[in-house]
Amino acid sequence: MGTRIRIACGVAAIGLSLTACGGGAGAGNSSQQGGSQGKDTATVAFRTPNWILPISAPGFTQGENDIFSTALYRKLYSYKLDGSSPDNIDPRRSLAEAPAVSDGGRTLTITLKDNTWSDGKPITTKDIQFWWDLVTTNKDKWASYRPGGFPDNIDAFKVKDDKTFSFTTKKAYNAAWFIGNQLNRIVPLPQHAWDKGDAQQTFAELTAAAKDPKSYATNPLWKVGSGPWKLEKYVPNGEVVLAKADTYSGPDKPKLNKVVLRPFTGDDSEFNVLRAGQIDYGYIPPANLSQKTYLESKGYTVSPWYGWSITYLQLNFNNPETGVLFKQPYLRQALQMLIDQPTISKVIWGDMASPTCGPVPSKGDGCVYPFDPAKAQQLLEANGWKVVPDGQTTCQDAAKCGEGVKQGAPLAFTVTSQSGFTATSKMFAEIKSQMAKVGVQLTIKEVPDSVAVTPACKPSESKCSWDMSFFGSQGSWYYPAFASGERLFQTGAPVNLGSYSNPEADKLIEQAQFSADASALTAYNAFLAKDLPVLWMPNPVYQISAYKSGLQGVDPQDPMNLMYFQDWSWKS
Amino acid sequence: MNDQHNRVRGLWRQGLEVFVDNRLALAGVGIFVLLAAFSFLGPLFFHSDQVHTDLANVYLSPGTAGHPMGTDGVGYDQLGRLMLGGQTSIVVGLAAGLLATVVGTVWGAIAGFAGGWVDAIMMRVVDAMMSIPALFLFMLMAAIVTPTVPMLIVIIGAFAWLGPARLVRGEALTLRTREYVLAMRGMGGAGGRAVRRHIIPNAIGTVIVNATFQIADAILYVAYLSFLGLGVPPPAANWGGMLSDGLSDTFSGHWWLLYPPGIAIILIVLAFNFIGDGLRDVFEVRLRRR
Repeated sequence: MGTRIRIACGVAAIGLSLTACGGGAGAGNSSQQGGSQGKDTATVAFRTPNWILPISAPGFTQGENDIFSTALYRKLYSYKLDGSSPDNIDPRRSLAEAPAVSDGGRTLTITLKDNTWSDGKPITTKDIQFWWDLVTTNKDKWASYRPGGFPDNIDAFKVKDDKTFSFTTKKAYNAAWFIGNQLNRIVPLPQHAWDKGDAQQTFAELTAAAKDPKSYATNPLWKVGSGPWKLEKYVPNGEVVLAKADTYSGPDKPKLNKVVLRPFTGDDSEFNVLRAGQIDYGYIPPANLSQKTYLESKGYTVSPWYGWSITYLQLNFNNPETGVLFKQPYLRQALQMLIDQPTISKVIWGDMASPTCGPVPSKGDGCVYPFDPAKAQQLLEANGWKVVPDGQTTCQDAAKCGEGVKQGAPLAFTVTSQSGFTATSKMFAEIKSQMAKVGVQLTIKEVPDSVAVTPACKPSESKCSWDMSFFGSQGSWYYPAFASGERLFQTGAPVNLGSYSNPEADKLIEQAQFSADASALTAYNAFLAKDLPVLWMPNPVYQISAYKSGLQGVDPQDPMNLMYFQDWSWKS
Repeated sequence: MNDQHNRVRGLWRQGLEVFVDNRLALAGVGIFVLLAAFSFLGPLFFHSDQVHTDLANVYLSPGTAGHPMGTDGVGYDQLGRLMLGGQTSIVVGLAAGLLATVVGTVWGAIAGFAGGWVDAIMMRVVDAMMSIPALFLFMLMAAIVTPTVPMLIVIIGAFAWLGPARLVRGEALTLRTREYVLAMRGMGGAGGRAVRRHIIPNAIGTVIVNATFQIADAILYVAYLSFLGLGVPPPAANWGGMLSDGLSDTFSGHWWLLYPPGIAIILIVLAFNFIGDGLRDVFEVRLRRR
C-alpha cells in the first residue's frame, strides 16, 4: 500500500492529496476561534475515507484510507526514515520488537509487545494468524498482492507461542528490504471479534461491511480496534469524527479528545476556508503558494510535507522512432544536462520541490549531470549531431550518432504531461526553452491522465508512439521504507513504463533485494543515477501543509504520508 | 447592365449607411482593428523574446526597464505575450468561426432544401451532436490530438457548425417554396443549382450575422480550452491560456497577468457582437428605407 504510482486523475486534480473531492461537509461546530473548538479538538481538511478494513482492496487504496485505517488499527510495524533506528522501524509505534534474522536471512522471528485491543483482550499471535489466513486465502482480493510477492514468497509461517511467530522465505532476502517492503503490510486483526471460522466467509463478510460506509460508526465489527482513536461519527462523503480511545495501550497516547476530518469539494473551497481560519490543519494548493505570507500573518504555520518519493520524466525506449535515440547514453546525459533542476525548484515550484538525482530519494545535492547547456551541446556535437540553436538538431554522422540512428534523424520529441498543474506547465515551458537552445524540439501535450496514455508497450503496438511521459506534479513514485527499484527499473517491472532494460541495473536491483550487503542499495542508486533510466526532475513536496501555530506535534510530517493525530496537541 | 450595376452599388451604399448609423457597430470595428493591429503589427515595433524563458526575471512589475507591462512566471515579457496571444486568439477565432459557418450553411441549406428523409437524417445527426456537451467533446479531442493552431481551428470548427446548420435549415425550408425557386425547378434546374444560386444567397444575411457570433464564440472556446490546459502548447500563447495562468496569481498581486488578457477577451468578443448587430441592421430591409 505504501508503494504506489501517483497518477493524476485529470481535472479532478489527482486524488492523492489529502483533501478535496469529497462531498459537501457539514459546517460542524467550528468555533470562531480559528476552528480550535475549545482546544481539545483539531479540525483537519481531509477527504472522506471510504475503506475501514485494514486489508486494502483494489480501488480503495487512496492515502486517506491508509491514514484512517492506521488511526483505528495499528500496523505490526511503523517506520521512520530519519535514520535513527535499524531498518527504519519506529520502535515506539510498532506492535512488535524488531525481527530476529536467522537461517542465512531466510527466517525472521518476530515477538509481539504487550498490547491490548480496545475491549481489553491482549493482542496475540492469534491475531497475526487470523490476518495471515485472511490474506493467503483471499490474496486475489488484496490490493497489496503481487504474484510472486508477499505471501507467495513465504515458505512457512509458524506460530511459536502467544507472542512469537516467524516467517521463513523461499529465498534469502535482504532483511532491510523484507522488513521495509513486506512486513509493512501486516496489520493484526481482532480474531476474537471477527473470526467466523472460515477465512473465505469471514473475509467476504468483512469486505461487505467495509463496503457499507454509512454503518461504519454503528457496526459492532468496527468497535474493537487497536489504534489510538475510535470512530465517533461517520457521514458518507462528509465529516468524520475520531475520538480518543481511552483504552489505547500504546505509548503514544492521544493528547486531543477529538479530530474532525472535514472534506471539501475542491482545492479552492478548502483554501477559502483555510484563509478564513476555520480549519486547524489544511493545505495550500500549489497555485496559491503566494498566499503563504498571508496565511502566516493569520496565525498559520506553513510546512512543506516532504514525501519519500522521486520524480522523473519517463522515456519510451520501445518507441519505434525515438526509442533508438533514448538508448544512447550520451543523449540521455545531454538531455539531463538541459534540465535546470535547482532553478526550477526554486523559481517555479517556489522552493516546494527539490532536485531528484537518482532512484533513491535524497536531498537533491550532487546530481551526476548538473545543468550545463554548453556541455550538453559539446556532447551532442562530439557524437555526430549538427546542433542548430533554436532550429532543428539532426544527426550528421550516423556512425557517431549511435547504433540504429539514421543520418538526418531529428532530435524532436513529444512530452505527454499533466494538465491542471500551473507549475508543471511552467516547468515544461522552461525545459522546452532550454532544449530549443541546442536545437532539441519538444512538443508539450497536456492531458488529464498522462499515465493512462503512455503505457508500457512493445514497438509494434500502436500505443507505443509516445516519446516522453510526465506524471510527477505531486511526485512520480512514493516508496515504502526501503527504496529499491524492482517495481520501477528492473527489466519487465510492472511500472517500468518506458521499458528500460540494463543487465547491470537488473543485477544491482536483485542485490538490493536479496543480498545481505548493506551497500547494495547505494551501489544501485549510484549506477542508475548515472545511467539515467529516466530523466530526473524536480520532486515536489507531497503537500504544502498549513496548520494553526498553536497546534503542536504536526511536524515532522511523515514522509510515508501517514498522519499521527495522537501526537497533536494545543499549546497551553 | 449599367442600371443593374448602379442598383448593386446602391444597395452596398445603403447597407454601409445603415451600418455606419449604428455607433456600436462602428465601435466594434474600431476595437477589432485596434486589437488586430496590436497583435499583428505590434511585434514589428516592440520586440520581445517569446521563445526563451528567463527564470532570472520572473514577475517583474509593469514599468520595469524593457518590460513596460512586466513579465510572467517564467520571465516572458507580458506585452509581447499579449501580442502573441492575440494572434492565436484572432486567427483561431476567425478561422474556426468561418469554418463552422461554411460547413453549417452548406449542411443546413442541403437539409432544408432536400426535405424528407434526407432532411430527417441530416438534422438528426445535428441533434445527436448537439446533445453532447461541446466542452466535453473539445476536451476529448484535445486529449487525443496534440493541440496546434490548425488543429484547434478544426476541433472548434468541427463542433461549432451545428448552430448555423439549424439556422440555415430553417431559412431553407421557407426559401424552397418561394416562386423563383419553384420556377427554376419547373424549368428543369437541378437541386444543387437551387441551393447554390437561390437558397444560400437569400439566406446570406442570416449567415453573415451568425458568422460574427460564431467568431466571438470560437474565441471564447479557445479561451475555455486553454483555461482547461488544453490550448496551444508553449511557447505559443493565447489570451485564454494567459488568463488561466493569471488566475493562479489572483492572490499574489500580479494583476498584470490577470486583467490585460481578460480585458482583451471581453473587448474582442464585444467587438464581434457589436459588428454582428450592425450587420443584422444592414440586412434588415425595413431599416434601409428609413
